[in-house]
Amino acid sequence: MYGWIWRHLPGNTLVRLLVSVVLVLGVVYLLFEYVFPWAEPLLPFNNVTVE
Amino acid sequence: MPSSSEPDGPPEEPAAAPTETDTVTATTEPDSADSADSADSTEEPEAPEETPEAPAPRPVSPVRRRVALAVGVAGELLITAGVVLALFVAYSLWWTNVVANQEAREDSDAVREHWAADDDPDGEDATVPRAYEPEDGIGFLHVPAMSDDEILVKEGTGLDVLNGGVAGYYDEPVESAMPWDDEGNFSLAAHRDGHGARFHAIDRIEEGDPIVFETQNTWYVYRTFAVLPETSKFNTEVLAPVPEESGATEAGRYITLTTCTPVYTSRHRYIVWGELERTEPVDADRTPPAELLDAS
Repeated sequence: MYGWIWRHLPGNTLVRLLVSVVLVLGVVYLLFEYVFPWAEPLLPFNNVTVE
Repeated sequence: MPSSSEPDGPPEEPAAAPTETDTVTATTEPDSADSADSADSTEEPEAPEETPEAPAPRPVSPVRRRVALAVGVAGELLITAGVVLALFVAYSLWWTNVVANQEAREDSDAVREHWAADDDPDGEDATVPRAYEPEDGIGFLHVPAMSDDEILVKEGTGLDVLNGGVAGYYDEPVESAMPWDDEGNFSLAAHRDGHGARFHAIDRIEEGDPIVFETQNTWYVYRTFAVLPETSKFNTEVLAPVPEESGATEAGRYITLTTCTPVYTSRHRYIVWGELERTEPVDADRTPPAELLDAS
């Protein structure tokens, strides 16, 4: 999977490396900004009130 | 996973493939395929000493190949899942604090600015100053036994409120009294972990410790008189105007702090009760009451 992505990135090794870093950072950003905030209330870790 | 360790050598690119033979089969496979299709015209990756069993010459059956590929992809997915879970832990325990602390600092500054700007001539907390809405924050909680930081208190205990790094007073299931009411229970909730973790160290509060609530005009000094280290999350009795589980028997001016316990879970609830000892008017310099001066 990652090998496939690597082979389909453009440019030489250095360019691919930079593109990979950018892709990884983008994925982390999406996780922190959208996925985790969505998932967190569904998980039983942080409900503090009595109800 | 880019084949590492040669960002400095653009021309000799097949060098990476043979050095990776000890990783999962399928990851080496695409890599060798990579070197094959991108660099087959150049010199053969002259098998160095550490890879005596170069897989190239032996023909591999298509089924084996496919199985190896599937195993490799499954392995990569599992590794990815592990990394994502680790990131989630970092998010929960670190990043949410960064965000919430920032948000709480801005909101606290805004409340203090409102207080400074609107001098609230009647000096009564019960009449809300014109300049701000109660959901912006009604005051600051100081619990020296737990933390040196002040905790902004807002209306409501929904996650949208509490995730801002503040404590919230209950609207439901039992509506909180306000500190300036003649009697009742001022009931608060805040996060134990993440999102500012304002009540993280709630277990350091012991009987007799002061809990001080600061409004625009008044210091409300409460004294802790009971702690319930564990109770059900359905136990709304703890918020009652007279919380009998604390040992209180008659109407009074109580404060109740609630959060989850044990740390990092939401299995039970941790409750701390205090009763109002006295109030002190805020002076021009906002000199804190003796309880807070002693602590610092």
